[in-house]
Formats: sequence, structure tokens, C-alpha cells
Amino acid sequence: MAIDDDLLAGLRAQIGVGHVEELGEISAAMIARYAAAIGDGDQLYTDQAYARSRGYADVVAPPNLLAAVINWGPGAPYERLREDGTEADTHLPGVPAQGVRVMGGGEEMTFRRPVVAGTVVVRSTELLDVTQRDSSQGPMLVVRYRDDYRDREDGSALLESVRTVLLR
Amino acid sequence: MSAREGIPAAARRGTLQAGTALAPVAYETSTVQVFRYSAATWNTHRIHYDREYALAEGYPDVLVQSHLHGAFLARYATGWVGEEGRLTELALRVRRYAVAGETLTVSGVVTAVSRLARERAEVTLSLAETRACDGETCVTGEARIELPADWLAEMPAGGEGAE
Repeated sequence: MAIDDDLLAGLRAQIGVGHVEELGEISAAMIARYAAAIGDGDQLYTDQAYARSRGYADVVAPPNLLAAVINWGPGAPYERLREDGTEADTHLPGVPAQGVRVMGGGEEMTFRRPVVAGTVVVRSTELLDVTQRDSSQGPMLVVRYRDDYRDREDGSALLESVRTVLLR
Repeated sequence: MSAREGIPAAARRGTLQAGTALAPVAYETSTVQVFRYSAATWNTHRIHYDREYALAEGYPDVLVQSHLHGAFLARYATGWVGEEGRLTELALRVRRYAVAGETLTVSGVVTAVSRLARERAEVTLSLAETRACDGETCVTGEARIELPADWLAEMPAGGEGAE
């Protein structure tokens, strides 16, 4: 299977169809691990007392943590993973498990307010558009989708992200 | 300025205007970092940890995640101003891959400044991240930062910030 009209039509049928998911609580451990992974020793990310002294309710997540987490659940069983190791994710339903490569192309993020540990996050996702392009390695689909991340507690906006994903 | 590593130190309070360049910062990546980043974000894509798979896909080694590039840009964009500044927008476009172990250097130039209400201001930065192996640009981006207005260069009386 490769990029073809069926895949294009299948994806386009989902444009505008929203999908809402509760992602769970952002824990202090998750924030600290993310900060360690990116190599950032900012105390705001790891030291609760320091974060409180700076006016935050708890440790603060680095700006793109929410957008960077690929899978918020436990992950699919091994037999349901795609050949590239990813799972058929909710952003791209209908993309076959084999024969299509998925690559990140870019992202536009708007940070509405800092995310602190203890925040329960709800994400709504919408497929914005799908366009077909010819690349040097054959036909390619450019898919854009939008994720809105909100605080479950009061519905306030945390982060908006528009991602571009390339399929070929 | 902060002694923390990984943040540019060129900008000074009272100097920012369109054209101000921030000092470049080099970020050293490693296989361990790319693995930990995949683990922390529950990213199971083999391109980031399975070297044979990466070779079969035509790359020289496992790849740095696009969001890890984004994390470097986010850190660079706000590190110089510290907690007084707040990153409000970050857009990035991945143009070329980088492999684990690559040194990635981020540079930034102020492209616009504007004054907001209550002694606040907004600065727009154009960002580029290059890989050391050949100097090619891996990622380009744009960031907006809200910060105290006294970071901007003095304006002539009645003048407005460039936009």
C-alpha cells in the first residue's frame, strides 16, 4: 500500500470531525523526566518549593511538553503496532499499518498559560486539511491537524497546536 | 545573566530592537538523550532507537525527534530573558534530519518588537538550527515572547516599535 486516492479520500472524509480525549494528569515526575530528557536544569521544572516561591501552584512543564507526548495511554499491544513501531494513532485513523511512512513536518504552537503539575488535561483534535504533493520520492500527503489542550478543571486553554505530518 | 548552560547570553535589558542578534547556543545530542526523549514522550517510532531500521530507511543513524528540536528552540527563545519573559508562540519547520550525536546550534534574530499595555512588550524572533556535520539548516522557526518593556531599546519620543 502506498499513497493513493483511497487513502486521500479516507483522510479527507475525516476533515472537520472532532475528537475529544482526556489525557490524564500531568505529574511532577513526568515534568522532571521531560526536563531531564531535554537537558534543561531549570528549577521551575523540578523544585516545587522554588516554583511556589515564583508564584506557581507547583512545578511547571517545559513549554512543548504537552505537544511532545506521542502517546498518553499505555500503548497498543505489540501485534497492533505499525512496522515503524508507532501505533495507528487517533490523529490519523485509516492510515494502514504498513507501507506508509509518517514523518513530522512542522508545528505551530500557541502557549496560553503555563502548565503546572496536577493539571488534568483534555485534548480536542480536528483534522484541518489533506493535500497531495509530488516529492522526489513519489507522491506524498501533507496532513494538518489541530490540537487544543485545556485544563479539565475550568476549561481554560493551555496550548493550541497545529501540526503538519507528511505521509509517503 | 544566568550561569545556566544552553541559553543565549547576548541580549541585554534596554537593547532589543529589530535586527538584534542573540548569541548562538550549541546543543549536544546523544543516543542516550534521544532514547530518553522517546521514553519520556512514549514515542515508539523505531527511527529514534533502531539503528538498523534507520539505515534501511536511508539515514546514517537514528534521528533526533522533531519535538526535541522544538524543545531546543523553546529553551533558546526564552532562556536569555528568564522568568520575566513568557513564550507565547513557537512555530517550527523541520527541513532536514539530524542524527543522534549531532551538535545542533540554534541562533536567533529579533525581527520585530512592539509595546503592549502595562509596561509589557512583545518580541518576535526568527530562529534557525543548524547541524555541525555540514552546517545545513535542520529547523527554522519563529517565536513570540512577551516580556517587560524595559528590555526594548529606548524609543524616540512618540515613537512606536517596529512591527
